[in-house]
Amino acid sequence: MTELFSLGSEGWGDEMLRGALMTVLVSASSLLLGIVIGIIFAACKLSNIFLLKLIANIYTTIIRGIPELLVIYLLFFGGSGAVMYVAKIFGYNGYIELNAFTIGTIAVGAISGAYSTEVIRGAVNAVPKGQFEAGKTLGLKPYPLNMMVIFPQVARIALPGIGNVWQITLKDTALISVTGLVEIMRQSRIAAGSTHEPFIFYTAAIILYLLITRLSNIFFDKAEKKYSQGFVTRSAS
Amino acid sequence: MRNLKIILAFLISFSFSSAAIAGDWSKIRIGTEGAYEPWNFTDASGNLVGAELDLARDLCDRMNAECTFVQQDWDGIIPALVNGKYDVIMAGMSVTDERKKTISFSKAYMTEPARFFTLNNSPLSTFSSAKNLNLDDDGSATSGTISALNNAMKGMNVGVTVATIHEDFANKYLDSNVKVYPTQDEMNLDLAAGRIDAMLCDVGTAEAFMETSGGSNVVTFGPNVFGGLLGEGVGAGIRQGDADLKAMFDKAIADAAADGTISKISMQWFGKDLAP
Repeated sequence: MTELFSLGSEGWGDEMLRGALMTVLVSASSLLLGIVIGIIFAACKLSNIFLLKLIANIYTTIIRGIPELLVIYLLFFGGSGAVMYVAKIFGYNGYIELNAFTIGTIAVGAISGAYSTEVIRGAVNAVPKGQFEAGKTLGLKPYPLNMMVIFPQVARIALPGIGNVWQITLKDTALISVTGLVEIMRQSRIAAGSTHEPFIFYTAAIILYLLITRLSNIFFDKAEKKYSQGFVTRSAS
Repeated sequence: MRNLKIILAFLISFSFSSAAIAGDWSKIRIGTEGAYEPWNFTDASGNLVGAELDLARDLCDRMNAECTFVQQDWDGIIPALVNGKYDVIMAGMSVTDERKKTISFSKAYMTEPARFFTLNNSPLSTFSSAKNLNLDDDGSATSGTISALNNAMKGMNVGVTVATIHEDFANKYLDSNVKVYPTQDEMNLDLAAGRIDAMLCDVGTAEAFMETSGGSNVVTFGPNVFGGLLGEGVGAGIRQGDADLKAMFDKAIADAAADGTISKISMQWFGKDLAP
């Protein structure tokens, strides 16, 4: 068993660790992309402009309503097909491969963005109205008002929800294995199929996922504490 | 799930069937799964190895082509071919009518009957029947063997893997409770655990499992099943538009079968001759 997980050319240890690194990279970039999308669409939902509200509502309804795997299939296979179709109009007939990492990040980012939108919208709504009014009374312009008064309070309320979105995002990356990107899930499937030891390698995958979750929980706990300074809170987790 | 994939593959093939780069086949990209020992799998240093890799290199020499290998998960292996990620699938894929709706196939380069497997303490282990079940023959011998199988397995759970010829067979002919698994390995675990009473799969993959400690009490029973909807054997999947590439593979496979190369590769990886 130990030789199965040794590093180097004899064992699968280094491959599994590389898979774990890939999972962390895809999850982290998807979460960041998702938060950016979330901020934009939360702003749309909170605006008074009907069209922006409509677009944001369509986005969150569709993405949260259809299976994640379908989003990934459509973006990965449909995406490169669409790009090639456009290229063909301009006279290029070759195969254009959209990088699996990029497509995976966009797909999972779009999914986590829909959940982040709701988390951020809820957090902004939870900031007492008086905070906006007090900032304006002090003569703060919109940018300093948002960055110095509102954002720290939104962050405090949104962090537990974003921590939740992070865990969902982490697990969604397992679905990108269908595109051929070698993350934990795909790597353990390769190792299991090549050695006929599925039990050992899927157990290793469980341990890796739990390890990543545990380590990231420490980070989110710290961040929650930092943004909760001055508040009386019950401890997280 | 499986229908979804077929529909998607269809949609893509209709809208973007131009993905093929016709004409120049001096460079061929071959897609494989890399997780199906001994057909195609990955060694611990990450290299693709297996019977189909050896065969592909030999075929490429015969076609004077330079071949590269692309790894792709089994889910999505057909859409990625249609989409042009690679030109050929060599991934232990059986030639079937259902798959032929979406892609075309070279002639079969290896054939292997399917068989039933159970545990040595199961009543099924003593089941006896005709040696062969040829589905191309629709006489009374065939229907007799099928009803004998159905009688023996009445009310039992029989495992097959998803989107395979074995699943098609089970759906069409078996009265038992059919359990469909995403991969062979998961089915192996459930057979060993007693969660299913029997499984139907390729002989080679089951034998590889029987050599491991977990599969030591697995035995085979019933007839060799082949023909009909079980297809012609394992062939190379090729886009429907690439008839010239299919002709090149057909010729190279015929030559490799004739001079004994396929038998040699088969003996080396499977310990028996699967040449067509």
